Amino acid sequence: MSEEIYGIVASFKDTPSLYHAAEKVRDAGFNHWDTYSSFPIHGMPEAQGQKRSKVPIFTFAGGVTGLTLGTTMVWYMNAFDYPLIVGGYPFFSPVFPFPIMYELTILLAAFGTLGGMFIMNLLPQHYNPLFNCAKFLEVSDDRLMIAIEAKDGQFDPVATKQFLESIGGFDIEEVTA
Amino acid sequence: MSDQKDIQKINSTGFFALVIGLVALAISLYGIFSGLETEDPARGFLSWLVGLSFWLSIALGLLFITQIWYVFHARWPTIIRRQCEHFLSVFPWLFLLFIPLFIIPQIIGEPGILWKWLDGANALPGGHGTVQDDPLYQWKSVYLNSNAFIVRAAIYFSVFIGLSYFLRKWSFDTDITGNVENTHKARRLSSVGLFLLATASTLAGIDWFKSLDYHWFSTMYGVWFFAASMRAALSAILIFCIIVSVKGYMKGTFKQAHRYDLGCMMLAFTIFWAYISFSQYFLIYNANIPEETYWYNIREHDGYGVKNSWWVISLLLIFAHFIAPFLMLLWYKTKIVVNRLVFVAIWILVFHLVDLYWNLIPGKVIDATASHGYYIRQFSVEVFDITAIIGIGGICIWSVCRSMLKAEPIPIKDPNILTSLNHSE
Amino acid sequence: MSSDTTDCSIDSAKQALLDKVAPATLKDQNLVTNNREFSWVTNKICKIVESNTPNWWWVCMAVALVTASFTLMGLIWLVSTGVGVWGLANPINWGWAIVNFVFWIGIGHAGTLISAILCLLKQGWRTSINRAAEAMTIFAVVCAGIFPLFHVGRVWFAWWLFPLPNANLIWPQFRSPLEWDVFAVSTYGTVSVLFWYMGMIPDLGILRDRAVQRLTAGIYEETSKLRESIARGTDVFRKYFYGVLAMGWRNAGNHWRNYEMAYLLLAGLSTPLVLSVHTIVSFDFAVAVLPGWHTTIFPPYFVAGAIFSGFGMVLTLMLPLRALYGLHDLITQRHIDNMCKICLGTGSIVGYAYIMEFFIAWYGANPYESFAFINRAFGQYSWAYYIMFSCNVFTPQLFWFKAVRQNAALVWIMSILINVGMWFERFVITVTSLANDFLPSSWGYYSPTIVDIFTFAGTFGLFSTLFLMFLRFLPLMPIGEIKFIMPQADPHGHSDDDGKESE
Repeated sequence: MSEEIYGIVASFKDTPSLYHAAEKVRDAGFNHWDTYSSFPIHGMPEAQGQKRSKVPIFTFAGGVTGLTLGTTMVWYMNAFDYPLIVGGYPFFSPVFPFPIMYELTILLAAFGTLGGMFIMNLLPQHYNPLFNCAKFLEVSDDRLMIAIEAKDGQFDPVATKQFLESIGGFDIEEVTA
Repeated sequence: MSDQKDIQKINSTGFFALVIGLVALAISLYGIFSGLETEDPARGFLSWLVGLSFWLSIALGLLFITQIWYVFHARWPTIIRRQCEHFLSVFPWLFLLFIPLFIIPQIIGEPGILWKWLDGANALPGGHGTVQDDPLYQWKSVYLNSNAFIVRAAIYFSVFIGLSYFLRKWSFDTDITGNVENTHKARRLSSVGLFLLATASTLAGIDWFKSLDYHWFSTMYGVWFFAASMRAALSAILIFCIIVSVKGYMKGTFKQAHRYDLGCMMLAFTIFWAYISFSQYFLIYNANIPEETYWYNIREHDGYGVKNSWWVISLLLIFAHFIAPFLMLLWYKTKIVVNRLVFVAIWILVFHLVDLYWNLIPGKVIDATASHGYYIRQFSVEVFDITAIIGIGGICIWSVCRSMLKAEPIPIKDPNILTSLNHSE
Repeated sequence: MSSDTTDCSIDSAKQALLDKVAPATLKDQNLVTNNREFSWVTNKICKIVESNTPNWWWVCMAVALVTASFTLMGLIWLVSTGVGVWGLANPINWGWAIVNFVFWIGIGHAGTLISAILCLLKQGWRTSINRAAEAMTIFAVVCAGIFPLFHVGRVWFAWWLFPLPNANLIWPQFRSPLEWDVFAVSTYGTVSVLFWYMGMIPDLGILRDRAVQRLTAGIYEETSKLRESIARGTDVFRKYFYGVLAMGWRNAGNHWRNYEMAYLLLAGLSTPLVLSVHTIVSFDFAVAVLPGWHTTIFPPYFVAGAIFSGFGMVLTLMLPLRALYGLHDLITQRHIDNMCKICLGTGSIVGYAYIMEFFIAWYGANPYESFAFINRAFGQYSWAYYIMFSCNVFTPQLFWFKAVRQNAALVWIMSILINVGMWFERFVITVTSLANDFLPSSWGYYSPTIVDIFTFAGTFGLFSTLFLMFLRFLPLMPIGEIKFIMPQADPHGHSDDDGKESE
């Protein structure tokens, strides 16, 4: 194990103090940092200075793919490759295959959404140095944390520690990479 | 009450709306009487009916929304609910404006001019005798006759007026007394009221719209009317809230989060309307039973396969009334940027009107020179359509303005007012 | 007009108005009662999975497995003999199989409704019940899938239903509602699993972290060495099982941001999906020309019925669980009230549809259509019709009364009646229309065979088996979302009222 530092973690006593601390970290201009809590916090993305999530793009792409796939599939199978006369219906029409087009749109949009969530969150990522920190595991229960990573341009082992302390953090620890 | 400047503005707007409304209604009445001489005397009445149903659907949708919000204990729309309540004051006036549709044909001695079945002596299109010889009419005559029509219309309007009267009264009373019992009463009334309203508006849709063509039937019709009304109502209340917030009356209280959520509801009901309309079409298309399909056929072609003017309108309903607003509202920005949202709302209202045209206007007009002995009344926008919409709208806006002077701009003592004021996305 | 004209800027007159704001107090019950802490919630839910298997679980599991074997027997009988062992005979060629299929699919709908529609409506109370309801959805779809799958007879050819090239060089026929069903139900099953799984990722992370914490601490206070090593071994299993499934979830703000967005989008996709599934199921009937089947209100009416039956099933499952695991602080009276009211609402919509069908059958002036409905109410299946009508329309009307909603035992009994009623609804629709159609000479009477009964009864066992497995291995409630609706999660300080609900 190298002694390289991954980052510094600090705990906060309740949701409002985590929220306000996050605003201060944001205003201090850090880039590689995050808050940790076992539940989503209303308004936290704004407090962290994050933009709106990009997942909808993946959903939309999935949906458009599904719609196209459904339409071409029905046309190819029932009107082009093996035209069949059934019940006086036309070989192809946008009406009768609508359920198929619709379901495939939803199906691929849903896959797009889940995939988009994984891609935007860089998951699966089963190892992360933070998991080595015993206190970090308590986030799963009720601990609230902020971690500033060493790769951030402004990171300085001593100054960052003091900074985190000044915004109300306690149990401040270095996490090794 | 709001401050002096606002009161003045509201007073003058109301007066202005009343004058315009009365003038436009006078022109519409002229349209009805002058239309009697033409080959299609029903068209003037249809103009009035379209104008009336446009505003009626908005008011009914708002009555639905208000009660749905009560039943769901919704907190965020509390400030919007007050604006809905102003709109709910229009029902008595709509009732008055409904009466001419029934009375004028009686006075001029042709009771079946708009609703053909009101007069058994009316000839059927295509030379099949008169209405009273029609076995389909004979079967339905227990339900479709003028006495039953009057009684039912009175019941529907008493449901609409009664519900809106109490919802308004209790809500306005809370402004003064801060009595939380009012909220409880409104919730209880709404849970029962939704049933009454659903029944009344369904049957009203059948009586006033579907029975224009009394041969046709569809169990979905009431749901269609509900869906269409909700879309119109949401768009109308959104535009109203934005106008009054820009003009100052609701400034600073109606915020981005409210717009966003109203936008989401507009999106939801756009989908719901499409779902209902599509399902009705799809089932009739697939089963392909002539008794039902003719209703769609006359809205597509002339009987020989040549597309008529309704064909374009039908396509517009799909692409412009569903797909365009659907795609626009999917976009997050559309739901928060005022200009875009107002644009979509106006768009929906315009095509809601087109939807009403498409549902109400087509019909068989007897014409001995035509090949079947009748022709299908085609799509056209008449001057008197516009005057009817403006006229009835003017009366409605006057009534809204009057109501605005009777209560605070927002329900200041409602238990949920703070949640609504602090609402964020 | 720009967006900022309506926001923020408030002049003095408006400020005077805002100063007058004095909300009356309205006491609503909190969604998590007794002022619980975050850690209490975590422990309460995780302990369901982590504690030793309770005895009642083994008993229930044994009963469930035995019952499930009925389905297995029924299916073996069917496959080895042929579809003739079912009670299908001219003119009733759709019998229990389609009834059971629609019944189970309908039950599934409440799960998606709770997780998707109530999520979009920001109904905070959904959080305590949505996970179990989603699990119920998936298991119900499994049970439902059995029937169409096996009714094809030669079940090994079922893959012909999918658009795959086969030796006959023909493709599925997309004009058939049954083909639409294949797409609808398989999409529904898949998306429900995705939704369920994604919702579970944070909780799986919690279970993983707890296992790791216990392993690191290494303290197992068991009565014997053997039990200690079993406990340790189980935690090693948990560490990897939940660890792999949690995908490295770290509870980061950034994770939550994308997760929340994805969750909202999946909810947005599931809502039209859940509507479409039962809509397409209703198309199976409604695109036909058969009197009693062809009616345009079927799509929304089936959807309302599905939600109705699904909520019935949620109540049937959650009320005993609440008592067994002592979840009264999480599934409060308010939750039960709300579910009862939804049953009341959807039950009444179903009633509206029954009446509307009757009315339009008469109004349509089609003698066959009128006959179909008169025959339902007064014909040979009137007993089924009255069971249906009384269970579905009259039973839920009791939910108007607060005293009824507060009596858990009574609510539970009524929830079962709802399930019974909804099964009969599908029976009435399917069988009465087929048994007495246009030609009196072809009329018949349908009776199920023992194989029908076995196969259907067994699906309750299968469903229970799957649900019991879920109880033991996966988190019963979404921990993060429950914490989200607690007052402590408010970044702007505690407030006594739970302002988040239905905001």
